[in-house]
Amino acid sequence: MRKITKSYKNLTDDQMRAWERLAEHTSGQSVFGQAAQLTGINLYVRLNVNRTMAGESILEDAPEQIIALPNVVYDKLWITPKTAVIKGIIHETGLKLVVKMSAGQSAGVSSGWDKTVIITPGMEDDWGDADMTYLYFKTIGVKPVVGEKIFVEMYWLDPVSGFTGQTTYDSKVCESEEDAEAEGYVKRNKITMADLKPESHVSECDVDFSTGAPVISFDTVCLGHSNVASSEAYLEDELPADCIGTSMALARGMGDGNCALAAQSYIIWLRNSSWDGTSITFAHRGGYYVKPTEVFGPGILY
Amino acid sequence: MFNSTGNNFGAGSIQFKDFQAENYVVLNAKFSYDPSNAAYQAADVLEIYVPDLSIDRSAVTGVILTFQDRYVYSSYTWNNDGGTAVKSWIKDKNTICIEKLTNFDEKVEHTIFIQAFYPTLNQSGSTTKGTRTRIDMTQETRYLYWSSDTFCVIFEHWVFLHMQFSSCSYSYRNQPWEANMGNFPTDVCADVPFLGGSNQYNPSVNGYSLAHIENGVFTCQERMSGFDSTGYEPFIFAFLVRDGEEANGDME
Repeated sequence: MRKITKSYKNLTDDQMRAWERLAEHTSGQSVFGQAAQLTGINLYVRLNVNRTMAGESILEDAPEQIIALPNVVYDKLWITPKTAVIKGIIHETGLKLVVKMSAGQSAGVSSGWDKTVIITPGMEDDWGDADMTYLYFKTIGVKPVVGEKIFVEMYWLDPVSGFTGQTTYDSKVCESEEDAEAEGYVKRNKITMADLKPESHVSECDVDFSTGAPVISFDTVCLGHSNVASSEAYLEDELPADCIGTSMALARGMGDGNCALAAQSYIIWLRNSSWDGTSITFAHRGGYYVKPTEVFGPGILY
Repeated sequence: MFNSTGNNFGAGSIQFKDFQAENYVVLNAKFSYDPSNAAYQAADVLEIYVPDLSIDRSAVTGVILTFQDRYVYSSYTWNNDGGTAVKSWIKDKNTICIEKLTNFDEKVEHTIFIQAFYPTLNQSGSTTKGTRTRIDMTQETRYLYWSSDTFCVIFEHWVFLHMQFSSCSYSYRNQPWEANMGNFPTDVCADVPFLGGSNQYNPSVNGYSLAHIENGVFTCQERMSGFDSTGYEPFIFAFLVRDGEEANGDME
């Protein structure tokens, strides 16, 4: 923030005047989730903190106008010791979702939003889901405990302008997986890095079974191992029976040597084994074998 | 079948074969453009504008980008045609996006093959399963040999195809190839990119050769020069719309 504040001095007079003009129109309006009197530098810092948080560069020219963003509309927040997910989010094209969450509080605490920290500075909803599980554990350091209350704040961020929408506040007492399922929670059939054992030979993993069609959606980076043209993803938990089978998907090299960008085909075996556990094997077939390779897109399942 | 209404990379009108369901779309198209044209140069992502699709966005799928690259030495033409996979997705009901891979922009012409399945995610049902059908590749005089991963998965309106070349008898190496595709639907007609082979002048990618499938017959008139190099495993990967059952926008 200090760097952004300092950079204001480097603006031209015209640029500063533009920020002041926009601030006059912004003051008193709830464009940051609360009414506020803002100066040009206040607005410059606020918008640019938001932008840099979302991975954008500092904006020197003031946006031409105030941009009103929608509220976050969603179905339900689910918190269990294994899951922290917001489901049923209405997708807003071009906007990023900022989510702040607290560590577990006593169930009797009625207002704990001052204890929230940023879990994600700006993510796109994943087809209506915002799965915070991995990010929550990574940020807070401990898993939610059944009976503790988690406080959540969320709002949309426009990464281009830096404007944000109204903050939506929610809280949820962590419940057991069984209770959540009884209440209607349906776990999305999807495998990510959070589901894998560390000895897996993939650096990114997104295997999504929620297509309702005869394909699995892949986005996985295979690193290879030993001298075998395949990579194993070892899962902590068993795959559901309807996910067991064989798939075939397209791939492209990510290396920097010969055939760095080579198209390839991969056969993918998804299995639960009583002998060596549950795994997904990505085995090279067509094209020149390259390490690493990204296996992506729909893979037919049979 | 439908035609594009425009694009942002100077390709002219593009004709699509399609099968559109409530939760996915299978599209087939083949089109070319000159990468030196101003529209292409200005685009960050290639966009094709189309009439309303049945889905308003999709997850990423793969399409094939190819180019020609020939060197003529007196009586011999050294064929270094190449290609690779690029990402594609449906951005909204009227826009199909294709990743712009600039590595081959110095080539005279690019040809893109869309033979792709565009899925949607977070649907209420999980993945369903098809049935693998081995393709019985036959010839009167057998000179082509295929890997056991030459198979298809047949659905009412479309078919998934994977073919992987193993070897060819030496005397037929430079002849036009033809083979019957037993068990493969006869209502599929498509040019298909055959990717593989060592590409001496474009070493970052495999070679590219053009094959054709029609009435259950596979043909391939010529191959790029490094086609049968060891370890380069030429293959075909395609989701193909069936003509006989083409739905033209009907929901499955």
